[in-house]
Amino acid sequence: MKEHEPILVLFLVSAAVIVMVFYFVYRTTLPPAADGEGIKSPTQKRLYVTSFLALLFAILLFYSLPKSPYFLFSDQAPAKTVHVLSRQFFHFMSLQDIDPQDPKIGEPIELPLNEPVEFQVTSSDVNHGFGIYNDKAELVIQVQAMPGYVNHLRWKFTEPGTYNVLCLEFCGSAHAFMRTSFTVK
Amino acid sequence: MPSLAFKRVTAIWVITILIPFVIDILFGIAMRFNQGADIKLSPIDFYMLMTTHGITMIGIWVAAGIVGVNYLLARYIKVSTALSSFALALTIIAVLMIWAAILIGKFHAGWTFLYPLPFYVVWEKWATPVFLGGLLLLCVSWLIWTVGIVLQILKKYTLSQALALQHLAKKTPSVETPPIVLIATVSLAGVIACLIAGIILLVLLFAEYFSNGSFTNDPLLAKNLTYFFGHTLANESLYLGLAVLYELLPEVSGRPKFKTTWYVALGWNTALIFILSAFFHHLYMDFVQPVGLQIFGQIASYLASIPSVAVTIMSIAVLLYKNKIQWNLVNILFYIGVMGWVIGGIGALIDATISNNVILHNTLWVPAHFHTYNVMGNVLFGLAFFCWLASEFSGSNISRQYGLKMTLLMIGGFGFVLMFYLAGAYSVPRRFSEYPQEFTSAAMLASAGAWFACIYLAVILWLLVDIIKKCVQIFFSPSSAR
Repeated sequence: MKEHEPILVLFLVSAAVIVMVFYFVYRTTLPPAADGEGIKSPTQKRLYVTSFLALLFAILLFYSLPKSPYFLFSDQAPAKTVHVLSRQFFHFMSLQDIDPQDPKIGEPIELPLNEPVEFQVTSSDVNHGFGIYNDKAELVIQVQAMPGYVNHLRWKFTEPGTYNVLCLEFCGSAHAFMRTSFTVK
Repeated sequence: MPSLAFKRVTAIWVITILIPFVIDILFGIAMRFNQGADIKLSPIDFYMLMTTHGITMIGIWVAAGIVGVNYLLARYIKVSTALSSFALALTIIAVLMIWAAILIGKFHAGWTFLYPLPFYVVWEKWATPVFLGGLLLLCVSWLIWTVGIVLQILKKYTLSQALALQHLAKKTPSVETPPIVLIATVSLAGVIACLIAGIILLVLLFAEYFSNGSFTNDPLLAKNLTYFFGHTLANESLYLGLAVLYELLPEVSGRPKFKTTWYVALGWNTALIFILSAFFHHLYMDFVQPVGLQIFGQIASYLASIPSVAVTIMSIAVLLYKNKIQWNLVNILFYIGVMGWVIGGIGALIDATISNNVILHNTLWVPAHFHTYNVMGNVLFGLAFFCWLASEFSGSNISRQYGLKMTLLMIGGFGFVLMFYLAGAYSVPRRFSEYPQEFTSAAMLASAGAWFACIYLAVILWLLVDIIKKCVQIFFSPSSAR
C-alpha cells in the first residue's frame, strides 16, 4: 500500500457505510417494511450519536495534533537551512540568503538523509505553494510562500533521491509549469 | 403567502440561477477534458474558465439558498417583492460585470483573487477594477437583501425568538419558532458576516488600487478575509438549503412538520459559531498564522459537524425510518442530497485534520470534497426546491417518476467526484491546466471525470427543461397561482 492510500481507504469505507445506511433507511420506508414504528427513544439515540462523535473527535485530535507540521523537529537544530524565494514562475533555492531584487539560480541543492533540515520560504510577488514531491510523485510535505512573510518548514528526509518542488497555490497562467528540484543523499 | 408578483420574481430568479449553472458545468467539463488532454485550451483560457466556474457556482447556489428561504419564509412573515427584485437586478448587473472582466478582459486570478495576484495584471487593464467592482456590487446588494430579510423576521419575532432561545428554557414555550425561521436567521447571520468581510476585503483592495502604491495590504490578513468570505459563504449556502429541506421534506413526504426543540435550537446556534470559524483550515499551510488559530481551525471544523449529524441527520432519520413514505422527485432529491452532504463532509473532515492537510492541501482532494457536498448535496437541495416550486406554479403534481433520473444522477455525480478523490489521494495538484508526466493516471482520471460529469449534466438538463417550462407558467396563467 502506498503512503497515501490509507486516507483513500478510510474515506471509501466511510462513504460506503454512509451509502448503506441511507439505502437501509430508504428500504424501511417502502411497503411492506414501513409500519409506522419509527425510531424508538430518538432523544436518547441523539445523545449516543453526539457522545460517539465527541469521543471520536477527541481521539482524533489527541492523535493528530502532535503530528502537525508546526511542531516537527522543533527541538532539534537543522543540519542545513535552505532559503527559498518563489516568484512567477520559479522557486529560487540557496543555502545562502537570496536577494529578492536579483535572485539567481545557484548551485544544485543537496540535503542530508535522516537529518532535520529547514526551508525558509517566502515570495517576492504573489502567493505560491512549495510542495515537495518524492520520485514516485507522492506529495511529501508542503508549505505556502507568501509575500512579506517567511514560513519555516522543518523536515527529515528518510529516503534518498531526487525531490521535485511544484507550486501548490494558483499563481498565474504558468502555475502548472513552476517547478524545481533538489537531491537528498 | 407570497403574492403573484413575488412568485414571478422568484421564477425569474430560478431561471437566472439555472442558465449560468448549465454554462458553468460545461466550463467545468471543458477543464477536465483539457486536463485529460482530450481537448487543447491555452493555460489562459483554462484559468478564465476556472475563474468563471468557481465564482459563478458559489454565487448562484448562495443565491438559490436565499431565494428558497425567502420564498418559504412568506408562510410566516411578510416578504418584500421590491427587495427581491432589487437584488435580482443588481445581481444580473454584477454577474455581467464579472463575466465581462473574465471572458472579455481575460481576468483569470481564480475565484479566490488571492491578494496580490489581481494586481499582477497580465490581462486587460480595466478587467481588475471591473471584476472587483462587480463583486463589490454583488456583496453590497446581497447585504441589503439579506439584512432586509432578517429585519422582516425581526418584525414578527424578537431576536431571541428568531434564534429559538426560548426553546432552551421551556419545553413548550408560548411562542414557537418554526425551524425554517431559526435556521434562516442563523444562516443569514452567517451570510451577512461573510458579505461584510468580503466588502472590507474589496474596499482594501480598491484602496491599494487607487493609492498608486502609497497603501499596500497585508497578504496574511487578505488571505484570512478571502477565505472567511468565500469559504464560509459557500458553506452557509448549504445551511440555507437545509432550511428549505426542514420546511419541505416532511410536507412532500406526508409526515408531520419538524418542530423546534431544545436540541434543534442548541444545535443550530452552536453550529453558527463553528461554521464561522472553520475557515482557518484554509491557512494551515501558512505557518506564520498563529498556531492557536490553526488548532482552533481543526477543532471548529470537527465541532461544526456534531450539530449537523446529531440534529439534522438524526431528525431526517426519525422522520423517515420505518414510516411509509410516498417518494417523489422532491423528497428523493433532498434525501440523496443529504447523503452527498454527509459523504462530502467526511472528505472535508479528513482534509481539515492538519496532519492530513500537509499531503492533501491544494491537491484534487479539495475539489473532490467540496464538489461532493455541492454537486451531490447543495445543488440537489436547490433542485428539490425548484421542482417543488415548479409544481406549485403550474398547479401540477410532483413527479413520482424518479428512478432512472436519480440512478443516472448518482452514477454521474458520484463518478465525477470519485475521479477527484482518487487523483487527490495520489497527490495530483489542483488548478493545473495540464498535468506533468510523472502523474501517470491524472489525465485518465480527468477524462473519466469529464464523462461522468456529462451524464450528470444530461440529468440536470432533463430536470431543468421541466422546471423552467413549469415556472414560466406563472407569467401566463395568474389564475393558477395558488
